Amino acid sequence: MSGASCKANGAVYPASSVMMNSVKKPKMEQIQADHELFLQAFEKPTQIYRFLRTRNLIAPIFLHRTLTFMSHRNTRTNAKRKTFKVDDMLQRVEKMKGDQESQSLSSHLQLTFTGFFHKDEKPSQNSENEQNSVSLEVLLVKVCHKKRKDVSCPIKQVPTGKKQVPLNPDSNQTKPGSYPSLLVSSNEFEPSNSHMVKSYSLLFRVSRTGRRDTNGLVNGEANENIDVTETPSRKKRSSSHREDGETTETYVAQMTVFDKNRRLQLLDGEYEVSMQGMEDNPVSKKRATWETILDGKRLPPFETFSQGPTLQFTLRWTGDASDKSTAPVAKPLATRNSDSSSPMETRTSTLRAAPVVKDSVSTDVQMRREQVLCEPRQKLRIFYQFLYNNNTRQQTEARDDLHCPWCTLNCRKLYSLLKHLKLSHSRFIFNYVPHPKGARIDVSINECYDGSYVGNPQDIHSQPGFAFSRNGPVKRTAVTHILVCRPKRTKPSLSEFLESEDGELEQQRTYVSGHNRLYFHSDSCMPLRPQEMDIDSEDERDPEWLREKTATQLEEFTDVNEGEKEVMKLWNLHVMKHGFIADNQMNQASMLFVENCGAYIARRNLCRNFLLHLVSMHDFNLVSVATIDRAMVRLRQIQEELPAAEEEQQDQTLTMGGACNGTAVTSSGGKQGKRTKSGVTD
Amino acid sequence: MEGASTPVPLHSQKKTMTAYELRRRVKSEYMRLRQLKRFRRADEVKSMFNTNRQKIMERTDILNQEWKTRRIQPIISVLTLPVVCVQCTVDSGFSEFSKQVIPLKTLNAVASVPVMYSWSPLQQNFMVEDETVLHNIPYMGDEILDQDGTFIEELIKNYDGKVHGDRECGFINDEIFVELVSALTQYSDNEDDDEEEEQDFKVDKMELCDGKEHPEDPRKDPLISRTNNDSTKKFPSDKIFEAISSMFPDKGSTEELKEKYKELTEQQLPGALPPECTPNIDGPNARSVQREQSLHSFHTLFCRRCFKYDCFLHPFHATPNTYKRKNMENLVDSKPCGIDCYMYLVQVSSHVTQPSFSFIQFHFLNFHSFVLVFIMFAEGNSRCQTPVKMKLTCDPEAVDWSGAEASLFRVLIGTYYDNYCAIARLIGTKTCRQVYEFRVKESSIIARAPAEDEDTPPRKKKRKHRLWATHCRKIQLKKDGSSNHVYNYQPCDHPRQPCDSSCPCVTAQNFCEKFCQCSSECQNRFPGCRCKAQCNTKQCPCYLAVRECDPDLCLTCGAAEHWDSKNVSCKNCSIQRGAKKHLLLAPSDVAGWGIFIKEPVQKNEFISEYCGEIISQDEADRRGKVYDKYMCSFLFNLNNDFVVDATRKGNKIRFANHSVNPNCYAKVMMVNGDHRIGIFAKRAIQTGEELFFDYRSVTRERLHNTRFILFIHIKHIMHDTGRLQSHILIG
Repeated sequence: MSGASCKANGAVYPASSVMMNSVKKPKMEQIQADHELFLQAFEKPTQIYRFLRTRNLIAPIFLHRTLTFMSHRNTRTNAKRKTFKVDDMLQRVEKMKGDQESQSLSSHLQLTFTGFFHKDEKPSQNSENEQNSVSLEVLLVKVCHKKRKDVSCPIKQVPTGKKQVPLNPDSNQTKPGSYPSLLVSSNEFEPSNSHMVKSYSLLFRVSRTGRRDTNGLVNGEANENIDVTETPSRKKRSSSHREDGETTETYVAQMTVFDKNRRLQLLDGEYEVSMQGMEDNPVSKKRATWETILDGKRLPPFETFSQGPTLQFTLRWTGDASDKSTAPVAKPLATRNSDSSSPMETRTSTLRAAPVVKDSVSTDVQMRREQVLCEPRQKLRIFYQFLYNNNTRQQTEARDDLHCPWCTLNCRKLYSLLKHLKLSHSRFIFNYVPHPKGARIDVSINECYDGSYVGNPQDIHSQPGFAFSRNGPVKRTAVTHILVCRPKRTKPSLSEFLESEDGELEQQRTYVSGHNRLYFHSDSCMPLRPQEMDIDSEDERDPEWLREKTATQLEEFTDVNEGEKEVMKLWNLHVMKHGFIADNQMNQASMLFVENCGAYIARRNLCRNFLLHLVSMHDFNLVSVATIDRAMVRLRQIQEELPAAEEEQQDQTLTMGGACNGTAVTSSGGKQGKRTKSGVTD
Repeated sequence: MEGASTPVPLHSQKKTMTAYELRRRVKSEYMRLRQLKRFRRADEVKSMFNTNRQKIMERTDILNQEWKTRRIQPIISVLTLPVVCVQCTVDSGFSEFSKQVIPLKTLNAVASVPVMYSWSPLQQNFMVEDETVLHNIPYMGDEILDQDGTFIEELIKNYDGKVHGDRECGFINDEIFVELVSALTQYSDNEDDDEEEEQDFKVDKMELCDGKEHPEDPRKDPLISRTNNDSTKKFPSDKIFEAISSMFPDKGSTEELKEKYKELTEQQLPGALPPECTPNIDGPNARSVQREQSLHSFHTLFCRRCFKYDCFLHPFHATPNTYKRKNMENLVDSKPCGIDCYMYLVQVSSHVTQPSFSFIQFHFLNFHSFVLVFIMFAEGNSRCQTPVKMKLTCDPEAVDWSGAEASLFRVLIGTYYDNYCAIARLIGTKTCRQVYEFRVKESSIIARAPAEDEDTPPRKKKRKHRLWATHCRKIQLKKDGSSNHVYNYQPCDHPRQPCDSSCPCVTAQNFCEKFCQCSSECQNRFPGCRCKAQCNTKQCPCYLAVRECDPDLCLTCGAAEHWDSKNVSCKNCSIQRGAKKHLLLAPSDVAGWGIFIKEPVQKNEFISEYCGEIISQDEADRRGKVYDKYMCSFLFNLNNDFVVDATRKGNKIRFANHSVNPNCYAKVMMVNGDHRIGIFAKRAIQTGEELFFDYRSVTRERLHNTRFILFIHIKHIMHDTGRLQSHILIG
């Protein structure tokens, strides 16, 4: 076996490494280190998704049921729309109001019993034809808080009623209205007693007269939902029943209504409770396990429902029974439990350790409401195979569980699960591989995950005042959101999750493109406001420092006179501003120079220097004689147009403002010249 | 009032003034001056600091005003908790200050931005000279220094141990020297006064400038007044120089110091200018000078490549006197300019000695009274040197010619030759008749119209196309040879020699450019393209030669048109036109800052030029050592001679990050004689995408430290390295 494959299987089949005893130790260390890395790699995204799950439960951004591939989660139908009339709304509201008023006074828990089922006693049932009903007694058990003197928690049992419940009724025959029902007033759940009630539970006790079935079902702690409810008092009572020849069998079951945290455990719905025989309990509680044994054979946990004595009833809260005092339901966080339609039958045994059965009855009695299984069971197994460095590191099996392992969302269909994983957990790569027992999903880390933000920049960088202003409308960054996108939808098929052979990564273009970030000014690092987007403020050809630089650089010459310096500076600023690049632009440039700076030249008495500049340009072959003539004629014109009186004043303002001169300092002689032009040439 | 407060030496003391005492005095004076200088420097720094602060305050005021008008309304985030009204009290321990209570306001948390070191924006490269001293000792965290103490030592060694701010002891510079002598002179002057030997003070004049600069220095004031009264000056006595010389032996002997002092003070005379400096032609004391002198500054400082004076990029500026005029312009008006035109008043006759000046002859044939004699001197480079003797036949008017006017005349005669009407128009204050008369007076040195270029025989027109074809072949050849050395271009200047194997351009495997002094018909010139398309395929010879289209050569492709619009048909002139894309700065998705594009671009479209300081390879090596330590380098090889460094100066593209799968690429192109780095799109880029280019792919052949070397090289002959260094100042 090669080292690689050994490593590959190390986590799943650790035994494989035993083969190489000589190299075992370093191998093991390596494997361990590798495993550590694997865990680290998967930890971070898992944590992120855990956080996101919680956040989505608290403040959902979208509802899963609105997604096309999750449409089966949508319980609402549009059937009523066809017959909808606006007038109905008023009626409905009025009706609701009336209902509320009447019910608010008498809110109660309504229990409607469908029947008591005890399938394996069919033969006996036949012989004793006359008996087709059992008597049911419902007691409300209040477990109170232990007081200092008490040894155990004081328990109060309040009888709520007795009913005859049909035995093994045929659901097709009996009419729904004929079922016996029972009401428990919600006042019973009020904490009015002297004892502080810790929890409320309903105790069902079914008494049935008939032949005693010795090899009856021994239903020790059939499942986690139904606990043994054996109190000393009941033991006594059941023994008293035994004396007559005609045995009276008693079955009991208990369900928690409010647990010790005052959470409502029993919501509206149909329930089937597995009952237990009271008389003998050969299985000691100490050795209680979660297996169900029938005739010495183990039964799958839910087989008890098809076999054992069960009581079916419908539970309904009417009125405001679930008002603030009694029903503070922390619903959203408990997705798995409160998911009204989730079949709770499968527990991933690999993931969960079996809970320890508690001895005391008074300790919190875990009850889970079960729903009658309507659909035929499809025993789907999903193997999550975690890959790291292209090697399998861990395999986790989920039986019949289509919950997303990261956010516990019940997807209910394999296709939906895969689609959900792919879209919502894109930090991983999921590849679907068909498996004879169900499906295998290869999970690996997505190295190419693009975590960059693609939302509205205003959402992340809410720069104060950039969006709103009292002074009127303020420009905002344009962000393009695709509101309607109807891509061609392929038929849902599992094949889309298969690993693509060519290995090309899907080049998904983001739907939101554009400037989805806050930009900054490159000079000041200040945020760029949306209204400043269109002008590139930092791209001037002649930034201020450069203008100043060229002026000071010329100023440094000791052997260039002020007039020359002045003209040179003006010209440099002119060229820098307009960015001339070609010789054949120079004629134009010179004329433009006269137009722009002519007045300044005339005022500063620089005409002759300007002429020298032009002649010099001509010597360089850059301007024509005609340009010199024209430029000088224009300069004369400008000179004449200048009002002579203003000359002095304007002159001063110009020098101070530095209109043409940029920020150049015109002080001469201040600096002891650093440079000479002769130094430049030789 | 240092000078005044010193006790005046008595008559009797003068004799006892020993050399030792004088030496001591030299020392104390020296120390005093040094200290004074230090104070002055501190004051300067303070005032500079204050002005800077003032600038900041002004800017802040502007910003505040702007914010005030905006009247901000904060966005209330959906997720924020309801505002709890909490009161904040500030309690001072003093009773006179009341307790201040204000409701608590929470400021929004602002995400911090990545670190940015300050830099100056540029849109064109900026050449700087090598730094000879280490400007600062880089700080990169204590742990680096602890680990690697030798790094700083090595760094300092690179600069020959010179670090900015180090001061040698006993240092005496020219300024201090002059001041020292002047201060000491006062003592001896006082002695002299007592002896009545001398009537005058000897004061150097340099104090004038200093006095103006620092009027707050009271010591200077009496000096200036005295200086102004002085009619004669006496040189300081030898004793002073002796003492200084003994004090600072390294500064030279007594005689040397004396010479130096003379030299320094001569130069500082008020109003006196260095010999090269021409007085301002518009000023009151304009002098009548020769043409070259008038134009000297303009000629020497003008950069023919940038069209600017004393440009930032080219250390060498060719002077124009070696340029040849390409086309002869009609220099003389054929018609008289008015009734008073000199043409009516003078008769000119000309005898032309050379047939090449026939066009002048043509114009002057009618004027017989004027004898024009051309005397040909052995011609140098200058075209202004040819003197022409003239004789005037009629009586000249007596007019005063100011220095400025005379100078201007000489300048213009070199350009307009005998077009006196035009000259008169330009001078403005003289009529053409007066100009003409002055011209006759000035007949000693007059320019003649330049001849056709004798260096290169004129080529026939029909050869042109063939030539162009061979050029294209040559380009192809050069490309195939793919020499991996690309040298900087320097205009060649070898008068009367064709561009053969001795021409620097040819040896450097560069084309001659329009800036070269050779003829426009030179074989080594790049002919430009004649494309009518977009010049973005290898069909275009410019594109093939990795050059941008030259607006003075490529006249058909559109590179020479549409100066104002962005829509130029030629796509091969983006760098020179600065047709860069709008880039936006934001924190990168990868690391630090990143640059993002505003509009989508096509493949191969120009995005921006990579601008920065142009530094020599040696300087880049030195700087690179520091940058490597910082793990952040903006160095980019330009050619064999120069490197672009965008650390201190640059443009926004410097923020582009490296990627192995980039969306941009860099290309060094020859743009009108300069190598420049263009960044182009490697694929179509969408709005808002971050830009990356592969720092490594830029080089294949040579990898130099962490620097990225590009593929174009030329052998560069620096005419004068010393000049390069002395000329460019660090920004």
